[in-house]
Amino acid sequence: MSASLVMQAILSGITNGFVYALIGIGLAVIFKGTQIINAMQGEFAVIGAMVTVFALEPAGLPYGLSILLGVISGAAAGVIIDRLFVQPMMRQRAGEESFLLLTIGLAVTLSAAVLYLAGRNSYLLPSWGEEGVIEILDAFLQIQALWLIGTAIIVVVGLRLFYGRTLLGLSMMAASMDPDGAATNGINVRRMRSLTFLLGGTIGAIAGILVAPLVAVNYHMGIALTLKGFAAAILGGLSNPLGAVLGGVTLGLLESLAVVGFPSGYKDVIALAMMIVIMIVMPNGLLGRVGRIGG
Amino acid sequence: MLQIQSLQAGYGALPVLHGIEMSVGRNEAVAIVGPNGAGKTTLVRTLCGLVKPMAGRVLKDGVALTDLPAHRRAERGIAVVLENRNLFVELTVRDNLRLAESAGRKASGGSLRFSLDEVLTLFPAVKERYHSSVGLLSGGQQQMVAIARALLLQPDLLILDELTTGLAPKIVKEILGVLNNLRTQGMAILLVEQSITIAAEMTDRAYVLSVGKVAQEIRRGEWQAVLADDSLIKAYLHG
Repeated sequence: MSASLVMQAILSGITNGFVYALIGIGLAVIFKGTQIINAMQGEFAVIGAMVTVFALEPAGLPYGLSILLGVISGAAAGVIIDRLFVQPMMRQRAGEESFLLLTIGLAVTLSAAVLYLAGRNSYLLPSWGEEGVIEILDAFLQIQALWLIGTAIIVVVGLRLFYGRTLLGLSMMAASMDPDGAATNGINVRRMRSLTFLLGGTIGAIAGILVAPLVAVNYHMGIALTLKGFAAAILGGLSNPLGAVLGGVTLGLLESLAVVGFPSGYKDVIALAMMIVIMIVMPNGLLGRVGRIGG
Repeated sequence: MLQIQSLQAGYGALPVLHGIEMSVGRNEAVAIVGPNGAGKTTLVRTLCGLVKPMAGRVLKDGVALTDLPAHRRAERGIAVVLENRNLFVELTVRDNLRLAESAGRKASGGSLRFSLDEVLTLFPAVKERYHSSVGLLSGGQQQMVAIARALLLQPDLLILDELTTGLAPKIVKEILGVLNNLRTQGMAILLVEQSITIAAEMTDRAYVLSVGKVAQEIRRGEWQAVLADDSLIKAYLHG
């Protein structure tokens, strides 16, 4: 086993890890703001990526505008799902399991809708900036991966400032922690939940648009992304976006390094087995109990 | 200031309150007393908009609140400290108060206005733990944060549900001292209380709630007689 092979596995693991992290961040945001585990977070990524793909070609819009449309479509999908499904169920005081079932159903439905509209083809987007790779210790990292990593870091820092420093962020957390306490303190709980879904949908769409130049997007990609993002979020402490990054990178590295020593078919088995071990040793996630409530 | 007319409310199809008629005047302190299960907490939750009434009306200053959601009632000058306080326990005291302070800027409450500094002066224990997570505070300190938060909403009516339950006598004394002070400044108070002694000490008059109905009204000046004759306590408050 050569050092460059290990280095390549590390760089690939970090890249994949930040993909999982971005999905995990969206999941963490929605969980933090609504206590709902959103099993369709990966579908926001597919929606964002697919809208960008079709806005770029055949619609022929400039790349920047296509990206903006992709992000807006993810945000809009979040708000629509909240208004059409989540809010009516909240009014009926549905339990956590009902929301999980709802979002699983929506994930399957959206996947079928994308199959109907976009077919079975896979689609790649152009790189955001300069095409190419950079060499690090005889291993290579695509420049697009730097965009992905940089954006994920900006999103996490931005969310930390948003939740910790702004009244809107505090209100969104308060509405989730204690809806009755929030409502009697002048906070419009319904609006906060809608904004949470808007934020979750936006982050999901950004993830999809960043991933699409690296991995071809297709109709069934959402569920796989959700599973990996969910694992990342759980590993990091479900309601903490920073934890989702740590969880995502850990999962990505475990997967990639597993391939170095074992046949590639075993990568998920090894990575997820390691995750189980981590969760047994650290049941509150990599950041511990404090990390579960952090920004 | 507050009028409750023929109010019927409950959970699902099951009514808990049956035709409640009550009022609280400006600058008045009124108690609601009654045993467990009388419907006191359901009444509080209906007044602050967390439970939707099945029939009847709630009016404040002559304006119907019945269809207003809870967050809009806070803007109309109604602040409530619920039975289990409903603080944001994972946030700091500072953040809990910041949120209320912000909401209070939109409130159309009464003439009494409270700044953050004034509220912290009322409760030195809250000031000492200003940067602590609320979840790390004692029950008494949390109750003080809950009242401080309610005051920052700039209310003209303060509703307090089972304020003293489970608190040490020293803390109860401190809290009641602050409330007495607010009362003398003209804050209208609706105090839901199981202890008839505290109700008598803190309020001008009271309604006795039993099985979701107003069983009796204790009028201004009648507290002494009620405390001297324990028939009411035996009949409605289970000793």
